[in-house]
Amino acid sequence: MADPACTAFAGKTPPRSWGRALLLTLPIALWSLFMSLRGLLQPDRSLQIASALTAAFLIALFFMMMKTSSTYRWRRWFFVALGVLFPIEFIHNVMVLRGSMGIPIEEMIAGRTPFCFLPIPLLILPAALTKTLVFPGSLLPGGGMAGAGMAAMAGLWLAITLVVGKGWCSYACFFGGIEEGMAALPKKAHWKKLDPRLRLVPWAVLLAMVLLSLALFEPAYCMWLCPFKAVSEYVAARNTVGMVQNGIFVVLFAALVIVLPLLTKKRTQCTFLCPFGAFQSIFNKTSVFDIKIDRTVCSPCVLCQKSCPTMSLTDESIKKGETLMSCMKCGACVDACPKGAAVWHIRGTQVAVKPERARLMFLYAAWAMAAMFGGTIITQDLATILQRVI
Amino acid sequence: MKWPTSKLGYTAAGMTVVVAMLVPFLLFGLFTKGFTKLGLRVDEMYSGGPTVRTIQADGYTVTIHKAVYPHLLQTEKPFVQLDWKPVNALPQHVSDAVDVDGDGQPDVRVSFDVPKDPKTPLRVDVDALNPRYQAMRNVGKQKFSELIVRVDDAILVRVPLTGR
Repeated sequence: MADPACTAFAGKTPPRSWGRALLLTLPIALWSLFMSLRGLLQPDRSLQIASALTAAFLIALFFMMMKTSSTYRWRRWFFVALGVLFPIEFIHNVMVLRGSMGIPIEEMIAGRTPFCFLPIPLLILPAALTKTLVFPGSLLPGGGMAGAGMAAMAGLWLAITLVVGKGWCSYACFFGGIEEGMAALPKKAHWKKLDPRLRLVPWAVLLAMVLLSLALFEPAYCMWLCPFKAVSEYVAARNTVGMVQNGIFVVLFAALVIVLPLLTKKRTQCTFLCPFGAFQSIFNKTSVFDIKIDRTVCSPCVLCQKSCPTMSLTDESIKKGETLMSCMKCGACVDACPKGAAVWHIRGTQVAVKPERARLMFLYAAWAMAAMFGGTIITQDLATILQRVI
Repeated sequence: MKWPTSKLGYTAAGMTVVVAMLVPFLLFGLFTKGFTKLGLRVDEMYSGGPTVRTIQADGYTVTIHKAVYPHLLQTEKPFVQLDWKPVNALPQHVSDAVDVDGDGQPDVRVSFDVPKDPKTPLRVDVDALNPRYQAMRNVGKQKFSELIVRVDDAILVRVPLTGR
């Protein structure tokens, strides 16, 4: 018997029964519990509680995705939790270790600069041409805030990208949740007319930063433009240039991560600046999952276009029945479409035939990655907070 | 003729789910090992370059690194890094003439105080006994190519080269 939700139809997928939703949640429930086992088996009570809470949180959200057949609003809870908790724990750790968010030069020389995924595209050309990593971290675990090292972060990025492609920006990025949370606060967008050409800026930033990083042999984006330095760490200002750099971080964070998402209800940093997001868009071409617009039932009311947090739907793309390559598979357009014309899709298959099957397969893969990566981060963050509270 | 592409699509989607399950057990480790085996190294402007030789002093050692030259438009000067360690074996005031290039003649005289509190900022004076090296007066840690810092159990001094 085919699942009625998975048959060819025009219209929204209906909500499921509790039993069916529970059954569909079971694999992710087992996976989430397995991922939290390491924390649950530790003697640290805070870590045990944090692991249990995180697993319950992830399972509950996935259950609601199955029950309501909507994706975006439940995923957003996870993503915002990740985006809010990560900086809190990170800043706490650097303050405990160093007493400052500024990374001193001796920590850079010692290779203890924490490595996030954002500089990955900037390191490729210098590494390919000179076998040199232009980042003051460690390839292997280097102690201090270096974490598991650059190789582990790169390995994790490659593995998750293989699974979700550009979906990284919706299920793995531990910064995007801040602006997604900000964008969720107002009921309506105050700024509705945004120049669509601004979408090209991240590609320009990517090109400029890749070339600058090669020319200057330093991670240029981290040194000059990353807004998230304002909520993680930055090179301790040793001179006027350093102070200017830190000023840029704060201004960009305030503008693109706080103010503009509040005014536009869009993820403005991701849409108008992030070079990593532009780079990650390339992997949309290699991903088997995408979002399509079923032209046979589309009115078009452009609600999908209005709901897209990264402006990845245009009049032209809707006419073609597809999203732009910047689509991060958050599911906002699918949830917003009143006619069920925006659908999850597996490449090679017919559009709007068994779209719920496509959604389920994508969500199993994406949520497994979210539980493994984001879930681990949320657990650590919660444990740190609980240690301070208990 | 949609059937074969549909089947391929669903197979690929199923394989993606399987790959997702394999990430923490196999792929993460595999890719991480792969990256470490690429032979990449951290830029010497940060790491200080490979060690050339070590000079034994009175209870401590001075390690000399290979000279580091900036790439393309890198704004730093070429430099050579010298490490004094262990810190707890150093006298309160260090003033060593160091033969950097190994020709038997001292090239620089490096002088600095070793405060007991590791958080006290360090300052260094370098006298150039060979014109290849640049003299420094009361330098802290403003630039990667001319500095004195404490890293773990060592005090690192970077002496800029003049290019002569």
